[in-house]
Amino acid sequence: MNQSKSTTSRRSFLKSTLLAGGGLMISFSWLSKAGLAGALSEHTLPAEWHGLTGYIKITPDNIIKILNPNPEFGQNVMTSLPMIVAEELEADWKKIIVEMGPHDNIKLGPQFTGGSNSVRMYWKPLREAGAAARQMLLQAAAQTWGVPITELSAKDGLITHTTSGRSATYGSLASKAATLPVPTEVKLKEAKDFQIVRHSQKNVEGEKVVSGKPLFGLDYRQEGMLYAMIQHPPAFGMKLQSFDAAAALQMPGITDVFKLQLYAEDFEQGGFDTRTFNDLLVVVGKTTWEVMNARKKLVVQWAAAGDSKDFIAGRNGKREVIVPGALESTTTQLADMREYARKPSQELRKDGDPETAFKNAAQVIERTYTAPFLAHNCMEPMNFFAHVTSEKALLAGPLQAPGWIEPTLSKLLNLPPEKIEIQMTRMGGGFGRRAYGHYLSEAALISKRINAPVHLVYSREDDMTYGIYRPMYTATYRAALDANKNLIGFHVKGGGIPEHAVHANRFPAGAIDNYLAEGWSIPSNITIGAFRAPRSNFIAAAEQSFLDELAAAMGKDPIDLRLELLKKAKDNPVGKNNEYDADRYAGILKLVKDKSGWGKPENKKYSRGVAAYFCHNSYAAHVVDIVMKNGFPYVERVFSAIDCGIVINPDAATNMVEGAVIDGIGNAFFGRLSHKGGAPVQNNFNNYRIIRHSEAPQKIEVHFIQNDIDPTGLGEPPFPPVFGAVANALFKATNKRYYDQPFYEQIPKPGNTLNIKQKLG
Amino acid sequence: MGKAPVRKLAFQHPKFLIIAALAGLVIGLTANGLNYDKQIRKTATNRPDSIASVAAFGKVYKVLKSPRCMNCHPAGNIPLQGDDSHLHTMSPIRGKDGKGVYAMKCANCHQATNSPGVGTPPGNPNWALPPEDMKMVFQGKSARELALQIMDYKRNGHKNKAQLIAHARDTLVKAGWNMGDGRKPPPIAYKEFVAAWDEWINKGGYAPGK
Amino acid sequence: MIKLNINNKDYELDIDPNMPLLWALRDVIGLVGTKYGCGVAQCGACVVHLNGEAVRSCVTKVSRAAGQSVVTIEGLSPNHDHPLQQAWLELDVSQCGYCQAGQIMSAAVLLKENKNPTDRDIELAMEGNICRCGTYLRIRKAIHLAAAIQNKD
Repeated sequence: MNQSKSTTSRRSFLKSTLLAGGGLMISFSWLSKAGLAGALSEHTLPAEWHGLTGYIKITPDNIIKILNPNPEFGQNVMTSLPMIVAEELEADWKKIIVEMGPHDNIKLGPQFTGGSNSVRMYWKPLREAGAAARQMLLQAAAQTWGVPITELSAKDGLITHTTSGRSATYGSLASKAATLPVPTEVKLKEAKDFQIVRHSQKNVEGEKVVSGKPLFGLDYRQEGMLYAMIQHPPAFGMKLQSFDAAAALQMPGITDVFKLQLYAEDFEQGGFDTRTFNDLLVVVGKTTWEVMNARKKLVVQWAAAGDSKDFIAGRNGKREVIVPGALESTTTQLADMREYARKPSQELRKDGDPETAFKNAAQVIERTYTAPFLAHNCMEPMNFFAHVTSEKALLAGPLQAPGWIEPTLSKLLNLPPEKIEIQMTRMGGGFGRRAYGHYLSEAALISKRINAPVHLVYSREDDMTYGIYRPMYTATYRAALDANKNLIGFHVKGGGIPEHAVHANRFPAGAIDNYLAEGWSIPSNITIGAFRAPRSNFIAAAEQSFLDELAAAMGKDPIDLRLELLKKAKDNPVGKNNEYDADRYAGILKLVKDKSGWGKPENKKYSRGVAAYFCHNSYAAHVVDIVMKNGFPYVERVFSAIDCGIVINPDAATNMVEGAVIDGIGNAFFGRLSHKGGAPVQNNFNNYRIIRHSEAPQKIEVHFIQNDIDPTGLGEPPFPPVFGAVANALFKATNKRYYDQPFYEQIPKPGNTLNIKQKLG
Repeated sequence: MGKAPVRKLAFQHPKFLIIAALAGLVIGLTANGLNYDKQIRKTATNRPDSIASVAAFGKVYKVLKSPRCMNCHPAGNIPLQGDDSHLHTMSPIRGKDGKGVYAMKCANCHQATNSPGVGTPPGNPNWALPPEDMKMVFQGKSARELALQIMDYKRNGHKNKAQLIAHARDTLVKAGWNMGDGRKPPPIAYKEFVAAWDEWINKGGYAPGK
Repeated sequence: MIKLNINNKDYELDIDPNMPLLWALRDVIGLVGTKYGCGVAQCGACVVHLNGEAVRSCVTKVSRAAGQSVVTIEGLSPNHDHPLQQAWLELDVSQCGYCQAGQIMSAAVLLKENKNPTDRDIELAMEGNICRCGTYLRIRKAIHLAAAIQNKD
């Protein structure tokens, strides 16, 4: 067994509590609430996220309840995190009851879904919680029976003394266990002994999903609740000037129409306080549909917002940011990007002497890639319930980061954090979108204003046209080859609106002697946010497409070229701060090569493309097989190799990789959010194309590297390399390289009369 | 933000799209002279006149090829959509009776009347494609091909001349001029279309040279 | 007053007959298993059965359902044991789960009309149901499995 000194020991500690009526509750506490009195304002989020955990409750009648600390948006944490606790607890998984935990960063840790961090940050704390509880139950049995603890074993929620034949349930020992001191050191199980973890367990909410139980934010109901919608300006760079609500107020079911300011002029925004519009035109009524109808009767004057100022809070005080007022169009955005790409930009990393390498090159290959803004399009549109009074606030709904919005709500509502209760519902998708809590703030302010419980609902159109998009990106890659086709120099210069996507220290940095990475950005009023591996999902596409072309120019197999570069990065790394482990990177490439039968004659009928990428601490590679179906390219098969360390719940993990592959194909082929005169051109699924059933592959074969490395994330890593693999396979299928996403609109197809230029705006 | 004009059309009929095709049958008739309506024949304006007839069909053709008519007379089994006649999102297919299949039947989305708003399904109680065994394709057809097709009893939904004439009055046909927000009506007014249709058929249902 | 029969239960609603069935179900009756996804009949999250057909409740006026039989996900089976629900659980189809009620309701009409659907049949029936998490492969497998369960019973 592994000895584990509680990772939480320095600033938090295990705690046991006797439950009313007997029973044990074990928790890790991030200092106690009492200890924090008066110090709450300093105490925001812990620096060591892994030092926190959820808790276990065991009742005398042997009900074991595990609280899931982290918000569930389809990544399966509601199941996989409690599995970790149950594993160390030696509980019978089938009898465990899982509940979504309350928002409590003190007891339940950071409670943040994002950055593929859920499992990674909760792995150790949850194991320790489970192990500590197990240890205390064993001690309780040892004391009760007067036998040495070493003679006892715990399994399936039962403690057994083999010699005497005695056994007892956890429930019967729970009250006693609760009176014992919490161990400061706990023994963790060896990976080889895992009985629950690494064994596929069904989604604990599966039955509720298929029977239509109220699970999601939009399903939240409360007596007397009203519905609210916000009419936002039709374009980025516009604002509310005036409105006439007379007709809207005449509509049935409408109770109120008003203007509301979200942030005060001098409000200092935290990192996730991004909002697109500050002056809100709100309609409130008795049903969603009545509010939707009444909105159509509003007479509104919108005005150009002009340049405006935002204040961003930071460690070294607030920072002033000018938000430009221009009404952007996709065509002008592309032109701006071309212009910026020619200008000098910020050097992000330089190894060796790239200038000389390019000067001496026998051949220089240069390619430029672009990708549009993308909308998250979570199936459940943004929404939140709020009931705010002068004393307290209750909020319920779908969000990824309650700990980040709470301080904002506290400021906006002028309530201390302990008076703000945030309930996390299951989310109908997230993809990064729900880390930005503006819609909670809006709901809270609306409730406060109307002094009633209210459910703020975004229509699909509201949701898709609001912003917080995946940014618009470009990158130019250059490679210098000598006369013998050796790679002697490499240069990436990336930019975007309003940020670039270059990760300067990632592969192939470290593998090339002369290397230069640069970045630039163009300010914009179009708001952006995390989107399933922000930046990576673009830069992986560009880089992995470029490597494919480079391999062809060098006369090498694309997998072999990558493996050669990785060997160099391992044996003789260039520069410092290389972010990846070359062995693990090579491992997924070798695995996907093997599993896909790369180069095997039986696969000749497929146009194959390969790509691999490292991000968010995990490694993913795909081989994509395209065939032509009715004249259209179709991804028929995908082989995936993933290294994310220990896989907690294999079938659910496989599901997530399948989903990431389909999401990647869909966005690579179809994803686009364009602008015309500041207004989004796409506003619903009739013009924003989402991948559908017939476009999903027939087969996605997912293989995980088997190792005992502590688990890292999986929500994001399999997504970015899909784009590159699709682009590379498309080249094989159509003999044409695809540099600009989305690809599908550039593929000539039968019967399509769509005018692409029109679509661009 | 879309407006919500829920106008009920007294005349709405199902196969407006089909109609146009039906209308065409006459030609077959002309060719074999079978069901020429004597009453109509008597009037001076209804004398065969290939020049006037072909000229009238020019107008008819523009309507038939407009997205409002052609979108549901596709070359394939998937209807077209929008003013740019792209393939219908979510690829619903014709099915035997033209009303879709399984969970993808036309009437699952297309209501008896237009749904309010932009980008919502237009409505008609009998929304459908032509059936599997009588596809009455407009897409990709030249004026001559389409005229001949409409005049061919075997390819026009088995309509004789009188039925064709009547068909232009079908409420379903008329619905093409009221397909909901964001959809361009056919290039000429409905009345003008009916007049051209009648003239084309009454003056012999001639097909243009091309 | 509009009379509705939903999941074999009668309701009388005093609402605008133009209100889409979706909102009558969700906001007035409180059956929230039927989901709002797009409001324009594009995503399929709102599919319910109206006289056995998989209509999209977001564009179906409540007046169309008056006096007719409506079945929602809550009423698809008495004990959540419709072959599709069993298959969905067996293959652990869901990720976020938001679209799955609509997927199941669409698939139910397919299975009713075709006892042994092919992959192609499944595509034809399900193309109107978007799953943003990308569970399409599992949905396909689950429909095949449900057909097998249904045929065995």
